[in-house]
Amino acid sequence: MSKKNQEQIDRLADAARRGGLSRRDFMHYSVAAGLTATTATGLWTTKAAAQPKSGGNFRWGLHDGNTSDTHDPGTYVTRQNIFLAHTHRSYLTMIMGDGSLGPDLADSWEANEDATQWIFELNQDASFHSGKPVTADDVIASLNHHRGDDTTSAAKALLTDVSDITKDGDHTVVVTLSRGNADLPWLMTDYHFAVCPANDDGTIEWQSGDGSGPYKIDSGEWGVQFTLSRHDGWHREGAYFDTVELLTLNDPNARQTALVTGDVDAVSLIELKTMALLQRDPNLVIHNVPSAAAITMPMFCDQAPFDNVDVRNALKLAMNRDEIIEKITFGAATKANDFHHSPAQPYYPEGIPQRDYDPDQARSLLKKAGAEGLTISLSAADSVYTGAVDMAVLYAEQARAAGINVNVVREPNDGYYSDVWLKKPFCLVSWGARPTPDVMYTLAYKDDAAWNESHWQNERFNELLLAAKSELDNSLRAEMYAEMAMLARDDGGTIIPFFNNFVYANRANVGTPEELAASWENDGARAASRWWFND
Amino acid sequence: MSVFVIGYYSVLIAASCLAVYLERRRVFMLLFSLTLISFVAGILGGVSALRTITILVAVFALAAGVSYAFKEFLIQISRPGLARELRTAPLTAAFGMFVIFTYAIAGIFAPWIAPHGQAEVISTSFAPPDANMLLGADQLGRDVFSRIVYGARNTVGLALAATVLAFVMGALAGLLAAVKGGWFDQFMGRFADVIMSVPSLIFALLMLSIFGTSLLVIVVVVAVIYSPRVFRLTRAVAGNVVVMDYIEAAKLRGEGDWYLIRREILPNSTAPLVAEFGLEFCFVFLLIAGLSFLGLGIQPPTADWGSMVRENATLISFGDITPLIPAAAIALLTVAVNFVVDWMLFRSTGLKG
Amino acid sequence: MSDIFKLVAKRLGLGLVTLFVVSILIFFAVELLPGDIAQAVLGQGATEETVARLRERMGLNDPAIMRYLNWLGGALQGDFGVSLISGTSVTEAITQRFLNTLFLAAYAAVIAVPFAIILGVLVALMRDTLFDRAANVLTLTSISSPEFFLGYVLILYLSVKTGWFPAISSLSPGMGFGELLERTFLPALTLVLVVTAHMMRMTRAAIINLLASPYIEMARLKGMPPWKVIVKHALPNAWAPIINVVALNLAYLITGVVLVEVVFVYPGIGQLLVDAVSKRDFPIVQACCLIFAATFILLNLAADVGSILTNPRLRHPK
Repeated sequence: MSKKNQEQIDRLADAARRGGLSRRDFMHYSVAAGLTATTATGLWTTKAAAQPKSGGNFRWGLHDGNTSDTHDPGTYVTRQNIFLAHTHRSYLTMIMGDGSLGPDLADSWEANEDATQWIFELNQDASFHSGKPVTADDVIASLNHHRGDDTTSAAKALLTDVSDITKDGDHTVVVTLSRGNADLPWLMTDYHFAVCPANDDGTIEWQSGDGSGPYKIDSGEWGVQFTLSRHDGWHREGAYFDTVELLTLNDPNARQTALVTGDVDAVSLIELKTMALLQRDPNLVIHNVPSAAAITMPMFCDQAPFDNVDVRNALKLAMNRDEIIEKITFGAATKANDFHHSPAQPYYPEGIPQRDYDPDQARSLLKKAGAEGLTISLSAADSVYTGAVDMAVLYAEQARAAGINVNVVREPNDGYYSDVWLKKPFCLVSWGARPTPDVMYTLAYKDDAAWNESHWQNERFNELLLAAKSELDNSLRAEMYAEMAMLARDDGGTIIPFFNNFVYANRANVGTPEELAASWENDGARAASRWWFND
Repeated sequence: MSVFVIGYYSVLIAASCLAVYLERRRVFMLLFSLTLISFVAGILGGVSALRTITILVAVFALAAGVSYAFKEFLIQISRPGLARELRTAPLTAAFGMFVIFTYAIAGIFAPWIAPHGQAEVISTSFAPPDANMLLGADQLGRDVFSRIVYGARNTVGLALAATVLAFVMGALAGLLAAVKGGWFDQFMGRFADVIMSVPSLIFALLMLSIFGTSLLVIVVVVAVIYSPRVFRLTRAVAGNVVVMDYIEAAKLRGEGDWYLIRREILPNSTAPLVAEFGLEFCFVFLLIAGLSFLGLGIQPPTADWGSMVRENATLISFGDITPLIPAAAIALLTVAVNFVVDWMLFRSTGLKG
Repeated sequence: MSDIFKLVAKRLGLGLVTLFVVSILIFFAVELLPGDIAQAVLGQGATEETVARLRERMGLNDPAIMRYLNWLGGALQGDFGVSLISGTSVTEAITQRFLNTLFLAAYAAVIAVPFAIILGVLVALMRDTLFDRAANVLTLTSISSPEFFLGYVLILYLSVKTGWFPAISSLSPGMGFGELLERTFLPALTLVLVVTAHMMRMTRAAIINLLASPYIEMARLKGMPPWKVIVKHALPNAWAPIINVVALNLAYLITGVVLVEVVFVYPGIGQLLVDAVSKRDFPIVQACCLIFAATFILLNLAADVGSILTNPRLRHPK
C-alpha cells in the first residue's frame, strides 16, 4: 500500500472516530482507497470505532425549557424536563440506538398469552442517589402517580387499561390490564413514567429531584441550568462523562453561536435554515435522524365542510409535500402519507401508494362534493414547529391551484394547545415521537379518545385497533396495521405532511455511537449516558 | 499600485485643491480629511477598504444630490410662503422628506410597484437576486423586493395609525388635564402611571392574548401603551403655558376650555410634541416587531418588516444579508422622520444658528 | 427643603395607590387570559378530568374576588404567596433573578448615561456639523433596529468572528467580578445602544432650546467660548428634561429587557415573567409586575426630585 493511501485511510479513520463518517461510508471509501473489505472491517473495529473514554464535563444546550418547570413527572412537558429526566432518573425500559427495546430498571419482562398481565423483573443493583435501593414499591408508586381519580398527570390516558399493579417480592412488579396490550413494555419508555422514591403512604417523593439515573443533580435552576455528576452505583453500562451541565438555550441564535464558539459541546436542535451552513464547519457534526415525530393537520370530520370525505381528500391532494419538505424543513423530514405510522416505528406497512400533489384531481373531487371555491381557515403558531406559520402560508398557495382558499390564522404561541388545538376545526399540530403505532392511534385516532383531534369515527379502524393491541403474533399484527393505514389515509380526517427528522449537533470531539435512538433528540435524550469525549 | 488607487487619490487631491481655489473651506476640510482617512484605511485594509470608501462616498453624494434636487423641486411647486420656509431647510431635512415621499409612494401604490404578490411563491428558498427578483427570494421563495414594498404599506400604515391614535388620545387628555386641573388632572395622571408602570411588552402580551390579534386590536393596544408618554409630555408642556398671563386674560374674557386649548395652548406646545412624534413612531415599529417575536403581530402572509427581520435573523451569523434589508428599511425611515422633525423643531424654536 | 419632603411623602402615597390599581389590573388580566394554569401546566396532555383535578388542588375553584383578597391579605403582610406550579415561595423565586436584572441595568446605565449626556452636549455644541449628523444617524439607526437583531450582530462581530467576548452570558456561582463584567458585556452593550439615542437627543434638544434665551445670548456677547456657555449656563437649566428621559430609560433597562435576556441567555426577571404569564402562574406575574411598577414609580419620583433640586426656580417657588 502506498504512503498516500495510508494517509488517506488514516484521515478516514480519523473522520470516522469524530463521528463524521458512518460505518458504511467508511467501508466504501476504504475499499476505494485500495483495501480489501476484510481489512477495512478490521480497521473499522480497531481504529475508527474508538472505545468510549471516561471523563470530562459535558455541556449540553437544550432548546425548550421554562422557568416554571418542576420535577413532577406527571407534568413533564418541556425538553428540559424530559432530557433531565433521562439523565437523573430511570425508566423500566429504554429504546436502544437500533430502535429495539432494551432494559433499564427492568432486567426482563414477560406477558401471559393474551397480554393482559405483564411481569417485570427489576435489576438488583439499582439504587437512588440517596443510596436507597430501587424496589418494586418505588416502581408501583411511580406508576400509580399517573393513575386513579386523584391524579393530575398528563399521562393518565396511557394507563387507563391498567387495572392493578402489585409486587411479587422486592424486585418483581406485576401489571394487570383490563384489556390485552402487547406494547406495554414499550409504553414504559414514555417520558412521564420516570421512577421516583416511594413515600410510606404510596405516593412518590418527586420534589427533591432524587432519582436512580446515571447522573445526580448537584445544583440547578429551572429555565437556566442544571449541573450533575456521575452516580457511581448506576446499574447500566455507560455514563462516561464525569459531570454534565444542561443549559436552557431557547433562542436559536444563542444555541447556534454557543456551539460554534465551543461554549457548549452539543445542542438538541439547530435551526433548519442554517443546517447547510453549519455543515461546512469542520468542528461540528450534524445529525439528521428520521423520527416518529409528526406534524398533523386535523380537520373536524363532524363539521362542514370536512364532514364530506371528498373534501377531506381534496385537501390532502392539494398539498405539495415535496415543496413543503424542501422549503420548511430544508429536506430534514420524511414524507408522510396521511396515516400516523412512521417508518421509524415497528410494524411499518410497506407498499402503500404515496399520495402526491394533484390539484386537478382535488378540483374534481371538490366538484363532486359540490364544494367548488371552498374557503376555509387554517390555524397555526410558530411554537408548534419552527416555520409552522410559513408552512400554512405555503400550503395556502399550493391549495390555490386547486381552487381552495385557505386563510392562514396566526394564533398566539402562548396557550396554543389549550385554545386552538381541539377547538378550531382545522389547525396545525405537532406530535412527539411515540414508541409504537398502537400508542399513537389509541391517543389520537380512536373514536372515544380524548385527543381524537379530527373527530374521526371509523368502525372498522377501531375494531382493528383493539384486535391489534393484544395480538402477540407480529406478522398478523403488521397486516392489521397495514389495513388501518389505508383506512386512515383514504377516509381519515388528518393531513400528515411529514415526519420531522431530529436535527441536532455536537462538537467534533464528542464521540457518538454508530446508531442513534430516534425517540428524542440527542440519542433518545440519553446523550449524557451514551456519548463520550474523544480527546 | 493599481490604476484604481492612483485614480482614487488623484481625484481626491485634485478636488481638495479645487475647493481651496474656490475658497470653500468646509468642502476642503471634508475632502482632505477623507484623503487622510483613506491613507490609514488603505494601509490597514488594502484596496478593498478604499473601494468600500468609494462606494460609501458615492452613495452619500448621490443621496445629497437627490436631496438637493428634491428640495429645489419642492420649492418650485410650493406657494411662495412655504417656498421661503423650504429654502431654509438643511439638506438632511430634504433627504428625510425625499425618503418619506418615496415610502409613501411605495405604500400607496404597492400593488402596482411590486412585481409580485406579497404571498406569491415564485422560486426556491433563498434564491439569489436576478433580473426577475431584485433582492432575491426569502425562505419560502417569495420575492423580497415585493415584500419590502408591501411592507411599506402594512408596517408603516399600522405604525402610523397607532402613533397618530396615541398622539390624539395622549395629547387631548394632556391638554384637558392641564386646563381643567383638579381631580381630573390627578385621575388622568394616576391612570397614565398605571399603564406606564406595566412593561409594554407584557401589557401587549396580556391584552392581545385576551382580545385576539386583529389589526384594529393591535392599533388600539399599541396606542394605549404609548399614549401615557404623550399625555405626560403634553401635560408638562401645557402646564407651563397654562400659568402664562395671556391664558389668565383669556379665561377672564370668559373663553371656554376648548377655545383655550385650540387657540392658545396647542400652538404654543407643538414643538416638543412633534419632536416626540419622531421617536415614538420608531418605538411603535419596534414594539410591533417584538410582538411578532412572541407570535402576536400582524397576520401572515402579510409582509411586515419587523417579522421579516425576525424570521431570518439567525442567518446574519453567516454573513447573509437577507435580514439586513428590512432592518435597513426600518432604520432609513426612522432616520428620515427624525431629520424632518429636527428641522421642524429648529424652525419652531426660532433659533437661527 | 421641607416642601420636597412633603412632595416625596405625597408621591409615595400616590405610588402605593398606583401599585394597588396595578395589582387589580394584572389580576383580572391574568384571569381573562384564555385557558388557565391547569391547562397550561398540562399542555398538550390535558384532559378535562385531570385539568379539573389540578384546578381543585391549586385552589382555583374559589371565586376570583376571594382569591384576589387572599393574595392581597398576604401581600399586605409582606407575604407574596407561593408559585402555584412549583410551590416555592415567590420571594425565593424572584430575588436572585431581580438582582441579576438590576446588575445588568446598572452595568448598562453606568456606560450609557454619561456617554449619552456627554455626546448630547458635544453635538449641541457642534450642531449642524458633520459630527452632529453622523452621531444622529448612528444613534437613530441603533434604536431603530430591533433589539434582538442588534444582539445578533454584536454576537457575530464581537464573539463568533473575533472571540473577544463570550456569546452566552450564563452565570455560575462563585464567578469573580471581573469575569462577571466580561460575561455580561455584550448584553450590556446592546442595552447601551438601545437607550443612548433617546437620552442623547433629549440632551441636545434641551440645550439647543435654551440657546435662544436672552441670558445665553448675553453670555455669548460677553465673548465667552461656546463650550463654556453650554456647560456653565445652558446645561444647569436643561437638567429637568434630561433627568426625566434618563429616568424613563433606566426604567426601561430594568423592565424592558426580555428579548435581550433571551438572546444572551441571561437569567433575569423578564424571562421569568414571560414564562409565568404563559403558564398563568398568577403570584409570580403579580410580584414581577409590582416590582416593575415600583421601580418605575421610584425612578420617576427620583427624577422629579432631581429636577426640583437642579432648578433654582422650582426649588424656591414664588
